[in-house]
Amino acid sequence: MTALEAVSVYLPPVRIPIESLAGPLGLTDMQVKLFRRFHGLREVGRDPDASLYDLLMKAAAGLDALRGQEHRVRYVLYARTMPVVAPYPVNPLHEVCRALGLDHALAFTVTHQSCASGLLAIDMAGRLLAADTVLAADTGDGQHGQAGPLALILSGEKAFTRDAQVFADTTIFGEGSAACLVSAFGARDRLLAYAANVRGEFDSATGENDARLQREYRPCLAEVMRRALDEAGLTLDDIRVVLPHNVNVVTWQRMCLLLKFPLDRVLLDNIPTSGHVFCADVFANYKTACERGLLQPGDRYLAAAVGAGGGATFAAMVFEH
Amino acid sequence: MAAQEAGLDGEFRQRVVDTMTTVLARLLDRAEPVTEDMRLMEELGLSSTFGLELLLELEDQLLILIDVELMDQDQMKTVGDLATFVAGHSRPG
Repeated sequence: MTALEAVSVYLPPVRIPIESLAGPLGLTDMQVKLFRRFHGLREVGRDPDASLYDLLMKAAAGLDALRGQEHRVRYVLYARTMPVVAPYPVNPLHEVCRALGLDHALAFTVTHQSCASGLLAIDMAGRLLAADTVLAADTGDGQHGQAGPLALILSGEKAFTRDAQVFADTTIFGEGSAACLVSAFGARDRLLAYAANVRGEFDSATGENDARLQREYRPCLAEVMRRALDEAGLTLDDIRVVLPHNVNVVTWQRMCLLLKFPLDRVLLDNIPTSGHVFCADVFANYKTACERGLLQPGDRYLAAAVGAGGGATFAAMVFEH
Repeated sequence: MAAQEAGLDGEFRQRVVDTMTTVLARLLDRAEPVTEDMRLMEELGLSSTFGLELLLELEDQLLILIDVELMDQDQMKTVGDLATFVAGHSRPG
């Protein structure tokens, strides 16, 4: 069963108050007040001296479990919100792989589900590893458990354009990065279920379905959360904590009303100080949950994300710690 | 739900309604008056963002803080529904 073996997160120490971004982003006073009062966004992280390569390396540097295990890494998946982040032929992912001694791994980017691509990457990594293990078992050279193959998921982006800094009246993106080792048969943080709903008609480029997306956003997210719980044979009552995407606070307040789930069991700690850290939210919130002692062995938790942009993807994952 | 049934301060609720209708007319650039029985989404086309802007204006003008985390958007069908909620779920700001 797919499992998270280790997670490392880098959030830049430099925090920029959202008021400072108003001028460069062309935000009105009212928009800034809305972001602060209802969306719960106060500041976001920026690392002006770090390139995208630097950002990803800073997360990978904290992944102690990778040291000495590089040979076991078969796949490196870069889970990303923005479709393009560097001019051809620059490829920060391949540069990171070289620097980490992972040239041998198959490296690719997962981006088509915007901010929900992080959960998709976890699912893909687990399935790729599981398929390899089945193949290896068939040929008699399989290795399970501690010596088994691994995948490395990277996420995090530079807020390098206006689109990468703010999403209309919804969220402000923060810089940061995460690195996560995934195994096919680990015992820690096991993935119990994954559900996703891809809605191509909610394409922000045309904007013609924006009002419908606003109406259906919460019901669609609730539906995938319930579907993931059903698949895991659980209910919301079994969930110790929800690790949300950090879109904003008011969305999750309203989600909780819809789900009849206590707001204090949704980990919203990072929204005011980090903003929406692209696909890295789930990993950053996982680390915070562990640091706060919110997860005990055996606790079940649910990660949820919505990726909006070229279509919308609603996704949820249930894990056992 | 009528203000009396909800045990609300009727005078305060009326101030909320008056402020709300004025702000809504301006936000939505409407020449015709906005009335209490109008439906927020279907009739006035109030988006989620304008809805939050309306709440912020109410807070600023009435010097209150609204308990937004308790607000079930789906129950706020009309201007009057929202006024009743605000009057019953706010505190001096």
